[in-house]
Amino acid sequence: MNDQPEMLTPEQSRLVRERQAARSKVLGVILLALAALFFAITVVKIGVWE
Amino acid sequence: MATTTQDIALPADWRDFWALTKPRVMSLVVFTALCGLLAAPGHIHPVIAFTAILCIATGAGASGALNQWYEADIDAKMKRTQGRPLPDGRMEPISALHFGVGLAAFSVGVMGVGVNWLSAGILAFSIFFYAVVYTVWLKRATPQNIVIGGAAGAFPPVIGWAAVTGDITLLPILMFTIIFLWTPPHFWSLALFMKTDYTAAGVPMMPVVSGQRTTRNQIFGYSWLMAASAVAPWALNMTGAIYGIAASLLSAVFVLIAFTVWRNKATDAAEMKPEKRMFGWSIIYLFLLFGLLAFDRILMA
Repeated sequence: MNDQPEMLTPEQSRLVRERQAARSKVLGVILLALAALFFAITVVKIGVWE
Repeated sequence: MATTTQDIALPADWRDFWALTKPRVMSLVVFTALCGLLAAPGHIHPVIAFTAILCIATGAGASGALNQWYEADIDAKMKRTQGRPLPDGRMEPISALHFGVGLAAFSVGVMGVGVNWLSAGILAFSIFFYAVVYTVWLKRATPQNIVIGGAAGAFPPVIGWAAVTGDITLLPILMFTIIFLWTPPHFWSLALFMKTDYTAAGVPMMPVVSGQRTTRNQIFGYSWLMAASAVAPWALNMTGAIYGIAASLLSAVFVLIAFTVWRNKATDAAEMKPEKRMFGWSIIYLFLLFGLLAFDRILMA
């Protein structure tokens, strides 16, 4: 994204922020899911449910 | 970078990253891997099984992303693929490369730590095979590209099996062989009615290089070999009669459709109904065959 114009119009700024916000939300959900998965793997590996 | 109306560089949408993973291909990969996992003897904890399938899906996604990163120039020339994020200009190539490498490292690492290192090793090899051996080396070099490259798509049930048992025996090798021999009829039937696309892109697919007659002969030949390998697990007493009878019937339909392809002399895509039927049936066939194999093995256990 190196060829951005120096100043974005308010409409362009809104579009960029919307896109960034959507990506952040998806990434957040993925990270939370991974944290839960790693927790579950750890519990299984140490044999709590054996 | 294309936008809806303004000429500014928007960050790629998360859906474009999702599209890079080739979700439809991934669904078949996940399914065959799951069948390999279910067909394997022994026990695997559901959490570890889920992790294994997730890693296989992520590894397949990584392969798809790396493939699209390398092939953006070809994809731009084919109608079927020119809407993908890179040829359509919705994403910087470097983002696709980072995404692919990151997913590959993540999937192999988590598979090794969470499941076992044999399945992680095969997963790493299958990603390498698809992204480097097939995409970089074979695809633009030889009409045998999808025959050898088909091995990459044949690994998932082996990985699923190895996730449970930590080893590889004859049955997962047969599952590998079935997909390996299934790939040429599947892809070449598509290549026959998409020939103009591949010609435009300069990809040496079999119909482009050796002609439609040779391709149809090869589809018919590979279908027989695939049918033989599909009934082998039953013939070798590794499955019960449910799978054996179903595999025989499904494979008979497969060979019958391959026969109609073999007889067809059409050169125009509009008259290639048998080829289109072959492509559609090949997908249904693989789903049913592997589903029944897993079902039969569960019953046997």
